[in-house]
Amino acid sequence: MQMFFLGVSLAGFSSILGGLNIIVTIVRLRAKSMTPFKMPIFVWAALATSLISLTATQLIGLSFQMVMLQRLFGMGFFDLSKGGNPILFQHLFWFYSHPAVYVFVLPGLGIISELLPVFVRKPLFGYRWVAMSSLGIALVGFLVWAHHMFTSGMAEYLRVPFMYSTLLVAVPTGVKFFSWVGTVWRGKISFDTPMLFLLAGIIVFLLGGLSGPPNATISTDLHLHDTYYIVGHFHDAMYGGYIFPFFAAIFYWYPKMTGKRLNEKLGKLQFWLMAPSFMVMSLLMMRVGLLGMRRRIADYDPALGFDLYHVLMTVMAFLTALGVIVFFINVIYTQRKGQVARGNVWNSRSPEWLVPSPMPVHNYDHELEVVGEPYDYGLPGSRYVKFEGEE
Amino acid sequence: MAHITKSAAFRLGLMVFAALAVLTGIEFVLALFLNVWQLLLLVAVLKAGLVLYYYMHIYRLFESDPTLDHNSYAYKLATNRMGLWLFFISDSFIFGGLMIARINLLGLTHPELNQYLGLAVTSILLISSFFMNRAETAMAHGDRKQFVLGTAVTLTLGLLFLVGVVGVEWQIAPFGPGDGVQGAVFYSMTGFHAFHVLTGVIFLVIILRNGLRGRYSAEKHWGVEACAIYWHFVDVVWVFFYPALYLVGTVIQ
Repeated sequence: MQMFFLGVSLAGFSSILGGLNIIVTIVRLRAKSMTPFKMPIFVWAALATSLISLTATQLIGLSFQMVMLQRLFGMGFFDLSKGGNPILFQHLFWFYSHPAVYVFVLPGLGIISELLPVFVRKPLFGYRWVAMSSLGIALVGFLVWAHHMFTSGMAEYLRVPFMYSTLLVAVPTGVKFFSWVGTVWRGKISFDTPMLFLLAGIIVFLLGGLSGPPNATISTDLHLHDTYYIVGHFHDAMYGGYIFPFFAAIFYWYPKMTGKRLNEKLGKLQFWLMAPSFMVMSLLMMRVGLLGMRRRIADYDPALGFDLYHVLMTVMAFLTALGVIVFFINVIYTQRKGQVARGNVWNSRSPEWLVPSPMPVHNYDHELEVVGEPYDYGLPGSRYVKFEGEE
Repeated sequence: MAHITKSAAFRLGLMVFAALAVLTGIEFVLALFLNVWQLLLLVAVLKAGLVLYYYMHIYRLFESDPTLDHNSYAYKLATNRMGLWLFFISDSFIFGGLMIARINLLGLTHPELNQYLGLAVTSILLISSFFMNRAETAMAHGDRKQFVLGTAVTLTLGLLFLVGVVGVEWQIAPFGPGDGVQGAVFYSMTGFHAFHVLTGVIFLVIILRNGLRGRYSAEKHWGVEACAIYWHFVDVVWVFFYPALYLVGTVIQ
């Protein structure tokens, strides 16, 4: 157990220093003509994520070290018999662990905003608002942690403020959704594997987002707390904001990393195995949760009539897992006999695609010059970056 | 900095130290006769502000010239400064968490501790901060002899602080780490802080060794500056921890 706590603290160090590195790099080491609102939108997401991991991570390190000290030396922080306060642990824990969810989700949402214009050949709708919404989510994310503790017996007066701050998260997230819909609207969509995962990500994250307010509202949360509804909500938020964009990003940047393109057929097979079965699974989770299925229990009363739902969920979960196995098969297959892709596979404007794949050891020989907006796809004659000596 | 003379810079450091010493005295007397936590907090904030501005030169963060060449020393120096200050922001969250735990668990009480020893270790750390500032100022004006002297004194005082807290205070305290929440709070707060002091001592040994080998100059001494502001940061933490552990409220019965 002590090893586990020490391990978490060490992983925390890497997360903190990584965040620090990214912030300083973004603020200080951009190309000179790369002004903040000309940066790729994913960089904004990375900045917001790094601000969270720089600061909030310390609290999980601290709370776990306090538990460790309590176990090793009997220091009674959270021990009622010594005058300690178990609720304090929950506060310290969730102060990190709620923003940690945004550490997952923000890069995923950044990837959706980054890749969507490439596949619909249209400018990203509302670039500045999307950039600011990432920072907004990160900021509001710091003020909502106690919504995990509505039933914990914490101070009564904290409940309503945390309810409202939690509902506030929907505002910057909504900005992102408007931007995505506005971007896809009347675009020339090409349904390559990354695009499929992006669309699934948007829809699933919408479900995850819409199932959030009932958890944030105290009156409904008292019924929903610790039920499968929460499990379903969390799966939707994680798959929509993290897993599906993550696969989209891997399919998109795999040629950049290795010089070979992942197999499209296997990719589409993976998608059709994962996305529908996942959707059924998470919706059923919410369904049984609403009917009163508790989480974290191994057994339940058969008279509740959840058997069929649970069998279905299990089957669907295995299908999703099968999709991931297909992905690994795809990677191995591509490494052996994959299609070689050295150039700009997706016809992107981003500078990383203007150099050969895989990336040369030194990525850009000369400082690049930003000459236009990053996402002006489909506008004739527009250009994002120019290398030195290029016309 | 180079735009004022060395003796003026030394004098400024001494004046700031005098102000800090007077404030510490006021804090101690306040705690005895008018124990209002808002006043103690105000004094601590004043002390921290003095250290942040005059010893840690927080304003230098905003002096960077964006038109500089990215490969120039001045630009890299400003980048390094930003990284270090971001680390301080991050680190202050851990101390803030400890402080919140202390407020939650102890409220307006404090553990039964030796007040003279507390004042003594606080003074030692304060004096060490003065010498650290003197050493850094000396190096900024290219005075290596004063730099070595100042760093050596800081190092000695840092070790003395560790002996005072870990070697004496921990031994004579009437409670152990497992005795109630006061044990948990006191040993964890002083322990986390002492660990940072230990890191600072190691840092000081490194810059002393490099300084003796002549690796720093008036123009290039980022290592010295980093060590100095780290040392002052650890001092700022103690500025808040000292009243929180020794002064605020009444003794736990």
